[in-house]
Amino acid sequence: MNARERVLAAINHQEPVGVPVDLGSTPSSGISAIAHYNLKHAIGKAHWPTQVYDVVQQIAQPGDEMLDYFRIDVVDVGRAFDDRPEDWYDITLPDGTPVQFPWWFKPSPQPNGDWEAINQDGVRIATMPLGANFFDQTCFPYVDGYPESFADLPKVMPLIHWAGMAHSPWDHAGDADFWEQLRARTLALRARTNRALMVVIGCNLFEWGTFLRRLDNFLVDLVMDQANVERLLDALVEIHLKTLEKVCAAVGDIVDVARFGDDLGTDKGPFMSPKTYRQLFKPRHKLMTDYVKQHSQMHTFLHSCGSIYKLLPDLIEAGFEIINPVQTIARDMEPQRLKQEFGKDLTFWGGGVDTRFTLNRGTPEQVKDNVRANIEAFSPGGGFVFNTVHNILPDVPPANIIAMFEAIDEYR
Amino acid sequence: MEEALLDDIFAAILDGDIPAAPGKVQAALDAGLGPEKILNEGMIAAMGSVGELYECGDYYVAEMFTSAKALQAALGVLRPHLLQEEVRAVGTVVIGTVKGDMHDIGKNLVTMMLEGAGFKVYDLGPDVHPSRFVDAVVEHKPDIVALSALLTTTMPSMQTTIDALTAAGLRSKVKVIVGGAPVNDEYAEHIHADGYASDASQAVALAKALMNL
Repeated sequence: MNARERVLAAINHQEPVGVPVDLGSTPSSGISAIAHYNLKHAIGKAHWPTQVYDVVQQIAQPGDEMLDYFRIDVVDVGRAFDDRPEDWYDITLPDGTPVQFPWWFKPSPQPNGDWEAINQDGVRIATMPLGANFFDQTCFPYVDGYPESFADLPKVMPLIHWAGMAHSPWDHAGDADFWEQLRARTLALRARTNRALMVVIGCNLFEWGTFLRRLDNFLVDLVMDQANVERLLDALVEIHLKTLEKVCAAVGDIVDVARFGDDLGTDKGPFMSPKTYRQLFKPRHKLMTDYVKQHSQMHTFLHSCGSIYKLLPDLIEAGFEIINPVQTIARDMEPQRLKQEFGKDLTFWGGGVDTRFTLNRGTPEQVKDNVRANIEAFSPGGGFVFNTVHNILPDVPPANIIAMFEAIDEYR
Repeated sequence: MEEALLDDIFAAILDGDIPAAPGKVQAALDAGLGPEKILNEGMIAAMGSVGELYECGDYYVAEMFTSAKALQAALGVLRPHLLQEEVRAVGTVVIGTVKGDMHDIGKNLVTMMLEGAGFKVYDLGPDVHPSRFVDAVVEHKPDIVALSALLTTTMPSMQTTIDALTAAGLRSKVKVIVGGAPVNDEYAEHIHADGYASDASQAVALAKALMNL
């Protein structure tokens, strides 16, 4: 059973030979540049480059050598781009860590130590304050209210840092031959690896509302201004469906998993009631998952942080087959409970080890215990791909990452 | 009559009716109700119910936020009258997101919920250097300093802020409470904070407990 077969078996709810493992196939299942740098030194591989492919969160793309070293089963098609040395340049992060940035990302260090991201029109779209490790959004185009028409939405969206500083392959989306390149490069990637392939498509709905209006305003809109929310969501779905059409046509017959994103949960529960989700988001999520299922071989994956237990029945009906990052320490998100109630319908891609307390602050033994307990809860009968609960952040000691993989190895 | 006016304020805040809430407060003032009565029996009572509805799972963050915004709108009308009549707050809080952390939406919700419980809150904003917390404590003499952090990587700024208060000889004069995604009881204890709250509703309960309310 090769890597891709392991991942597909898990998604098809068959127990694979060896637990499949993800590190870096999405910008929410990866490793920060600083943690990557520390890890490669700890395992004696200082010569590996640390390439920051998601500049917003300062996440490194694990190279082929690291994927081989830790026996990772899935990769993002984004890695098929920016594959020449000249696509990267050397830069030192504010904490002193030497890394590489993609050629197009040139943040402006400020006298106070902050780094600012300014777009080509001179608009400051994000800031990384001194002492922080990723860029925060600074531009909220609809903060003062909804426009009468959303005709300008495609032009407004790049003002949001997630779109304006997008990771590969989307940093090439403006290239004239992008879709042909995406197909050709994904085919070449398929030919050279037996790992499963992921394409990160986003197609966020709730989150785009929070990006455009700002979270506090959009939460109020969900309660007080549903007419405008629905207008915005319709405009977003129209744009997203056009993207999905192109993605499915370009790589839908090559790629295994399409990763949607929409953070619907807080630590204590969903941002909104299941009723509000059903009314505003579920039918629109379903339109998009239906499109993918009808026009590709890809499985549907939803990244949503937080406690989403109360929404899971609706998310399943909305067409999502896989959820990530499975934030096990959030309310109602205990592994046994999730597996028992939703294990037949969902693949849990994540929930492998807690990253908020255990991986960063625990001892290597505590990390191993957490890994073993979670694998034993989630993996019986398939429906599980091991992944840390969200990215491995800069404060994680390499010894704990190594301990994590040693514990995983007991199950593969 | 009085009861009906207070009920209207209560309902406007509970329902998150931001446009209506200020008018309901004005109507009560016009009818001669005292600002303290409006605050306590209309607004604080409503936010208490919001907290209870959130705790039992009937309200979600979206509803809590909307009610908090309605409260803010209502307070805009009531605040000058509270000042005029020198209505005393139940306590004073200095709040901010710690150095290096730009995230302030959770902190803003805590601020609004504390105001909804009758506290006077001085909000220093996000990315607050420890020395600014020290200056604010000197200036406002709060009962409580509330520190927020969203990131595991900025959470250590809570410790440096507490250290700065200690170095300035102010630590024993205030209670320090902490909150935010990466924080828990254990961490609060580790940095010698006086308490931890897991959400805005719990933060209100904690602040009240520390004030013996």
